[in-house]
Amino acid sequence: MPTSSIRRRLILTMVLTQALLAAGLVFTGVYYTHRRLQFALDANLYARAMGVAALVRYPEETHQPLIFESSLVPGKDLAAGDLFVITAEGVGVVAHSPQWPQGLDVSPGRPYRKIKLARVPYRVLRLDKVPILDREEAVSNLPSTLTVIYATPLVELNRQVWRAGIYIALVSLIFLGITVLLALWGIRRGLSPLQDLAAEATHVSAQHWDFQPPREAELVAELRPLAGAMETMLQRLHQSFEQQRQFLGNAAHELKTPVAILKSTVQSLLQKPRTPVEYQAGLTQSLEDVERLEKLLKGMLRLARAEQWAYGTLKRNLDPVDVASTCEDAIEGLRGLAHAHDAEIKLNAEDGIICRADPEDLQLVWINLLENAVRYSPHGATVNVQVGRTDHRARVVVEDQGPGIPAEEIPLIFERFHRGDSSPTRETGGFGLGLAIAKALVEAYGGSITPESAVGQGTRMIVDLPLNLN
Amino acid sequence: MRILIIEDEARLAANIARSLRESAGYAVDVAADGEDGLFMAESNPYDVILLDLMLPRLNGLQVLKKLRAAKRHTPVMVLTARDEKESVVSLLNSGADDYLTKPFDLGELLARVKALIRRGKGQASPLLTVGDLEINTVDRTVRRSQRSIVLTAMEYRVLEYMAHRPSAVVSKTELLEHLYDYNWEKFSNVVEVYISGLRRKLNKGSVTPLIHTYRGQGYVLQQ
Repeated sequence: MPTSSIRRRLILTMVLTQALLAAGLVFTGVYYTHRRLQFALDANLYARAMGVAALVRYPEETHQPLIFESSLVPGKDLAAGDLFVITAEGVGVVAHSPQWPQGLDVSPGRPYRKIKLARVPYRVLRLDKVPILDREEAVSNLPSTLTVIYATPLVELNRQVWRAGIYIALVSLIFLGITVLLALWGIRRGLSPLQDLAAEATHVSAQHWDFQPPREAELVAELRPLAGAMETMLQRLHQSFEQQRQFLGNAAHELKTPVAILKSTVQSLLQKPRTPVEYQAGLTQSLEDVERLEKLLKGMLRLARAEQWAYGTLKRNLDPVDVASTCEDAIEGLRGLAHAHDAEIKLNAEDGIICRADPEDLQLVWINLLENAVRYSPHGATVNVQVGRTDHRARVVVEDQGPGIPAEEIPLIFERFHRGDSSPTRETGGFGLGLAIAKALVEAYGGSITPESAVGQGTRMIVDLPLNLN
Repeated sequence: MRILIIEDEARLAANIARSLRESAGYAVDVAADGEDGLFMAESNPYDVILLDLMLPRLNGLQVLKKLRAAKRHTPVMVLTARDEKESVVSLLNSGADDYLTKPFDLGELLARVKALIRRGKGQASPLLTVGDLEINTVDRTVRRSQRSIVLTAMEYRVLEYMAHRPSAVVSKTELLEHLYDYNWEKFSNVVEVYISGLRRKLNKGSVTPLIHTYRGQGYVLQQ
């Protein structure tokens, strides 16, 4: 992929605009100089034409032709290459400059025009009806007016215009160069906070998360949002990285224990020859160990998947589901556990509480909440499940008569692999994943789960889910 | 020898206990949480304690620190699922003598426990010698003057315990405490039975007695 550089682009833009400006300046300068010089030349041309016309006078005798005082023509004008021809009606050519090319005819029309003679550009003025100054002696059979055609080469004017153009172009070029240098310096200075920011950002790694935006970058209005965004982004990344790392560490730890048990079971079985009964007992134990490992793996996968939903990576078409019936199914599934703990689960459900969810997911949430409730309940206690609604939300409350959760532990109960300190769950095969899974699932459906508990007063887990309103 | 296992995974504890009993003949007690474990460790003279780190009520590190603070010098081997350097360093600095990461090999566990017992008693070699008596603690065989002696499991345990502390007076109570776990009734006359059996077997074909009785105090194993 071709890379682009802000600096290069800025400089290119600047050079292009400056060059355009310089071109405009050169053009305007040349045009203006040309106009001014031509204006002056035209005035000059007129004066010279009138000058030569004034040299024509009447003869003393009527039969003689008009007289032209050629000796009075200014020599420097002729030397500069000026050409002229004076004609009079009925007389023809009265006079002309020594180099007047034969056959050149300037038809009447615009007084000033440009022509080329032998590839040399000329400015030509044609003046008609120029009165002969010497009027008092006018002879009736001679014309009283003249036509003067005066031409002067444009070589000198063109050279001056050219020179002016070059001069302006050179000055523009010098200024362009200076601007580019200034821009380079300015851009480098202007971009240095960005480089500082980048340098600071390169120090960030999985081991080193400290990111302090350089002061210079914070002082630049355009960079402040970037620096701020990087800081918060890194904080969030760090947090989720730490969470993942902790989860991975916990997961590894939790996996090692059942593997250690399984390994020790098999090794102690192999330590010496045993009776078939002992082998059978050992294999049964190993199977139980493997099943426990499987349960843990399932829990971890379930959690990972639920969390993926929470981040919206899995979109699913969900059917309306009756919340009360998922509770009934969950309670049915926990009959055995409840019986073993001598606990009773009572359901008090309002009719027609409908949510959009996968019934299996909801069931799993209730099972996880109820398992905890039953396990922590004293013998002979009752676990109450209420299904109802509160402003557009379905509310399910699981209430136990257990020992309650110490206030400082409440924020920890949803953490993966967290177990209550006096928890009996290890003995009964819990991994501390149940509540984390329940929370991830509830949140995946846009709901919330709130624990209410105090030591000695039991625990209430309140689950709110969005109702299906149609 | 008597070992305490403080481990909340009942299955794992049972497997380790069975292995220690079967292949080393040790007396083994199991505690399922930190508080029970600390109480048992403080009230019985164990030769080695196997300590899990993740324990309910009182975690392994706390148990270890309390034990060392109470001037209990019983060798402690920590069983941990974490093997990060920092946690190992802090464990050893807190007074642990050895550690094993889960999942571990039962054979390795046994060998390390034996090494801890030896070092706990000031012995470096797995071969214990008292005069011309040789006790191999690895394969649990006993020889005197190149003659192999066959002992019962309990006789061997008494002899091995005494051989770890040669020339020291070992009382009957001490022997009982180190030979039996909680599940056994302790009758002091069984010690006398084992001692007399040992004397008979060790003295066969030899003139110098090895086990001496100090009346009212106990027994001494020496040349």
